[in-house]
Amino acid sequence: MAAVEIRALHKRFGKVEAVKDLSFDVEAGRVTGFLGPNGAGKSTTLRALLGLVRPTSGTATFGGQRYDELEHPSSQVGAVLEDASFHPGRTGRNHLRVLAAAGEHPVSRVDEVLDAVGLNDAADRRVKGYSMGMRQRLAIAAALLGDPGVLVLDEPTNGLDPPGISWMRGILREQAAQGRAVLVSSHLLAEVAQSVDDVVIIAKGELRGRGTLAEVLGGDDGPATEVRSRDPEKLAHALESRGLRVERDGDVLLVPGATPEQVGEIAAEEQVAVLGLAPRMRSLEAAFFALTEETT
Amino acid sequence: MSALLRAELLKLRTTRTFIALTAAALGLSLLLITLIALLQDDWVEQDVRELFTGDFTGLFILLLGVTGMAGEWRHRTITSTVLAAPNRLRLLAAKTIAYAVAGAVISLLVTLAIMAVGTTILSVRDLPTLGIADLADGLWRNLVVSAFLGAFGVCIGGLVRNQIAAIVGLLLLTFAIEPTLLAVAPHIGQFGPTSGAPNGVLQLEAFGDDTDILSPAVALLVLLGWLGLVFAGAATLLQRRDLV
Repeated sequence: MAAVEIRALHKRFGKVEAVKDLSFDVEAGRVTGFLGPNGAGKSTTLRALLGLVRPTSGTATFGGQRYDELEHPSSQVGAVLEDASFHPGRTGRNHLRVLAAAGEHPVSRVDEVLDAVGLNDAADRRVKGYSMGMRQRLAIAAALLGDPGVLVLDEPTNGLDPPGISWMRGILREQAAQGRAVLVSSHLLAEVAQSVDDVVIIAKGELRGRGTLAEVLGGDDGPATEVRSRDPEKLAHALESRGLRVERDGDVLLVPGATPEQVGEIAAEEQVAVLGLAPRMRSLEAAFFALTEETT
Repeated sequence: MSALLRAELLKLRTTRTFIALTAAALGLSLLLITLIALLQDDWVEQDVRELFTGDFTGLFILLLGVTGMAGEWRHRTITSTVLAAPNRLRLLAAKTIAYAVAGAVISLLVTLAIMAVGTTILSVRDLPTLGIADLADGLWRNLVVSAFLGAFGVCIGGLVRNQIAAIVGLLLLTFAIEPTLLAVAPHIGQFGPTSGAPNGVLQLEAFGDDTDILSPAVALLVLLGWLGLVFAGAATLLQRRDLV
């Protein structure tokens, strides 16, 4: 069973269908990027997953259980939402102490997570004096308080400066490396491309693409391979005889739907010298626009 | 439930609102009691009894409860609060109990302070004072009303998310609607949640004669009825609301 399962999720606000029949999984040990243009339904989906919004139909569960059915929710799921807000008059440490008390976590966890996000020095300052980056670090600390197996983050890099974005990227990878399932929504495509293993793309509330990053970047034909050879005609014939489509561009052959490994093996069987072999991928931006039909 | 209650009490203690409202209630109540004890000349026992209940504590406790709940929306902390406690009914119950406790604690501090100061001034002026039994009787009545007002404020904050609107509405109820009802239709006004029924518990004769005051037992039941009503309303809204 996947760490997170979204099944036929549908959410309507009045006449607006925010999410339509959305289904996807998030696996443990992987960072899953949840992409879509503004108003695509990303935040609504995450809020439905976290029990903050009631789905019109469908389910959004953690290991088969709704968030509000979890025994100790903050010990199983940590969340950072886009509008993560804190009482301005409360210190960062006290904010975490309140959450630790509510989640029945030992108070010692407060210092541990403050240390993990590098917020020790500012922990006793009131949150109203925090920068955006410090607030995001505090939100991450709150999410990690219960040492959960799943992290759900909604646009966590919004408002962060480059060092902050780099830090967040490191945190995401680190958490996945420790076995956690990480679901992160973002519209910062370049940022996501460097951080995620899997991608789910939605637009207008509907699923437009999902799979590993390589699969999504490969386009509708899946992966594509560029190959240069001393004898391109012989190699092209060999590839075509095995049912592959070949596009010629001078000495370079483009083979949609084939991985470099497949092309390399065919070249070896035919004893054709290969001078260059590389996967050809769309940029995530191109894939995103192609899948969401958005133009700039 | 106890974990949520601890968290709510910790929330109360870790902002300045609680301390500021407690200090304001204490300061204003002491000022009022001191002035009355010093300036009024004709005293009977009922005057002394009312001296120790006619303070500002209830208003401040009511405001504390409203800000405790409506403030969750104002500061947009309701999301993290519900994430920590996804059972919204238990969350509201914990907050209601926490503010009832807070109301009782503030009332305990203020009532003991004004009783000490008032009794001292009246003694120095050689005027009538209350015995320990009467003081204890006044104290429990104050604590009960204050606990109710703290809880009532939370539920009003759950019904009216806009903090300003909730506060203005309660001030209108407390200072305009209920006093008017008590004056022109006391048989209805005596059932009011912020003055009428609390007066019954406190046995205050603010308006009319004592026939317009509910007995303490009936007044307590009325207060519980009000609390049940607003709690049910707040719980229903809280459970139905999408937190977007």
